Amino acid sequence: MSKPLHRLRSLAAAGAAVAMATTAAACGGDSGSNADIVWWHIQNQDPMMSTWSDMADEWAEESELTFDVQAIENEAFKERMGTATQSGETPDIFQTWGGGVLTQQVEAGLVKDLTGELDCIDKINPASLDPYTIDGKLYGMPFDGGVVGFWYNKDLFAEAGIEQPPTTWTEFLDAVQALKDSGVAPIALAGGDKWPGHYYWTYLAMRIAGLDAMASAAEAGDFSDAAFVQAGDMLIELAEMEPFQEGFESAGYGEADGQAAHMGEGLTGMELMGQWAPTVQSDASGTEGLGDALGFFPFPEVEGGAGTITEYLGGGNGFAVGVNAPEEVTDFLCYLAEEENQARGVADGGFTTVAADPEAVVPEMDANTEAIVEALASATATQLYLDQAYPPAIGGVINEATEGVILGQISSEDMIEMINDAWAAEQ
Amino acid sequence: MSTAPTTSPARPVVRPADRDGKPSRRRSAGRPGTGTIAAFLAPGLVLFLLFVLAPILFAAYVGFFRWNGLGGPPTDFIGFENFANLVQDKVFLGDLWRVGLLIAGSLVIQLPLAFGLAMLLHQRFPGRTVFRLLFFVPYVLAEAVTGVLFRLIFSERRGFADSLLAAVGIEANVGWLSDRSIVLIVVFGILTWKFFGFYMILYLAGRQNIPDELYEAAAIDGAGSGQMFRRITLPLMGPTLRITVFLSIIGAVQLFDLVFVLTGGGPFHASETMAITMYEQGFQRNQIGYASALSIAMFAISFVFAMFYQRFVLKRDLQGGLTGGGSNGGDR
Repeated sequence: MSKPLHRLRSLAAAGAAVAMATTAAACGGDSGSNADIVWWHIQNQDPMMSTWSDMADEWAEESELTFDVQAIENEAFKERMGTATQSGETPDIFQTWGGGVLTQQVEAGLVKDLTGELDCIDKINPASLDPYTIDGKLYGMPFDGGVVGFWYNKDLFAEAGIEQPPTTWTEFLDAVQALKDSGVAPIALAGGDKWPGHYYWTYLAMRIAGLDAMASAAEAGDFSDAAFVQAGDMLIELAEMEPFQEGFESAGYGEADGQAAHMGEGLTGMELMGQWAPTVQSDASGTEGLGDALGFFPFPEVEGGAGTITEYLGGGNGFAVGVNAPEEVTDFLCYLAEEENQARGVADGGFTTVAADPEAVVPEMDANTEAIVEALASATATQLYLDQAYPPAIGGVINEATEGVILGQISSEDMIEMINDAWAAEQ
Repeated sequence: MSTAPTTSPARPVVRPADRDGKPSRRRSAGRPGTGTIAAFLAPGLVLFLLFVLAPILFAAYVGFFRWNGLGGPPTDFIGFENFANLVQDKVFLGDLWRVGLLIAGSLVIQLPLAFGLAMLLHQRFPGRTVFRLLFFVPYVLAEAVTGVLFRLIFSERRGFADSLLAAVGIEANVGWLSDRSIVLIVVFGILTWKFFGFYMILYLAGRQNIPDELYEAAAIDGAGSGQMFRRITLPLMGPTLRITVFLSIIGAVQLFDLVFVLTGGGPFHASETMAITMYEQGFQRNQIGYASALSIAMFAISFVFAMFYQRFVLKRDLQGGLTGGGSNGGDR
């Protein structure tokens, strides 16, 4: 054995770790494609993957522009997008969830301002444009949107003697207790993924403090208001009832033993999740899902809180346009927004339509889709998921702190301190 | 410890043979010129500079900035703030504590286990090769694959581990990966499963390098097996032991893939490592500056440790060991 090699190797090993942090900057900008329009989306499974390609082909034929369509898996997309933006070379069209990440990209001068550029904008439900609107300017075009709420198993609720879905927090806690007494885990939660937990704290904060207070807290970077501490305390109160399935601390959302699978198999009473929940429930559990036994109710009101039950946490998927994209890209986005093409997305991609006139896109909706579409239509206000709405550093801390609160590792005051510190560091 | 100055010059054996030796064939070919040396060194050197040294320097530079990685080079210089935050970061301090635990576990359990097995597998018995192969197999698996595998085994529902316990009549309700108090032990168990075969093979090779004559001589002198182990096996395996300790510690400091896939560092940091914290800060939260500072800390830890270890522990081994030069007279 040549001994000096080890020294080199240890250096190299240490160096490799360091390199990990910086490869981001070193490699990137691989959008060196000859096509006129490079398009990155995350529907990397058929049928939707082919449907996007078909739409690109159809429009390419008319416009005589060429496409390079890349279907990238969700997490891989975030990483590639990260390296691409760091090198300043974005694709011409790319997936976006709006909010804080999009804001950072806009501030870095990478995203095209679409305000007034889209002739078809009146086909889209204005409420679904919120996440992509930054300082009054539109930077994205949604193709899917919806709200977060409780998806519940009607059979298990009936067995537990719960006649009506709860509309207040007290009723909700009673329902949790009743489900526990009937011998099922009341709530499915993917603790290992962190983000599903943050919906609880966010909704409680929305209900107690209200959306205006949240907006000004985010503006000032200061969540010290007692209402936010109270939201944490109420979440702790819920967690102390041990309402979650066994082993939720390490459970993933979409895994075969995770949150959605527990719902799909009919093992837990409810989950707090977005419009995609029914699809994932059946996919992850390998079953047909709950079908008619699945119901939806909005996050309950907190007695005496500033928020109302018609305010929703939500979000969706959209496309943003790279600053150097060809002019025609906006026409293509409008092609995607045509009723017929939106309907293809609903059928093949399981999207929830964002059309201003949902009936035109989906004449016959199933009950679950209808619940979401109605909620979005009747929403008095919406709030984008906090881990999307805020800069990634803040969103990450909120997810982390919520996990700590749910697991009883930190207090509500600790949580607020963590969030405030993160905002302070961001300024 | 005879650390008396070894007076031997750097390469005492090779040089005389080349210098004043007879005109050998090698000699007549001439020493390679500087140009030749440079030509052969250049590719490796360029790659090393470009992909090892440059990123380290760049990370060190970025570590002094607040930078989210977007929109051109970093501009917001904040001096040592990232590093100051780092030493107060409970997660990072926890990472150090957990690395310490993993290292302690490796030194006390994993390496001795591998050593013991190597000694056993050195004996002659039927099926020895099969066992050697079997024990080495886990090391061949990619770390990420191992992570996925054990995530299934330790699944909360229908996991193999729970089913196995149930089959032998234990209805234990163990939260293998979900119980904060045991998850690190489970991680350590998996690491041991994965890596003991690697160390075992190293020990086996080290043991086989010891000439049998020494044991025969010792036996003639009336030494018992215990004495032979202490006086022959252990000292002569010293270089192997020292290098495995080194590899094990560096491995623990760098630990990432397996744990990331297995638990993502959770629940609530209970199994988090420095590299996972760095990933979370850099790639999830776009805090490239802070993550770079963390990576520099990791680098410094590895580097300082490697330097000290090689200076003080591996010194004799690096100078040529036992068989390299006869001048190394200090061996017991």
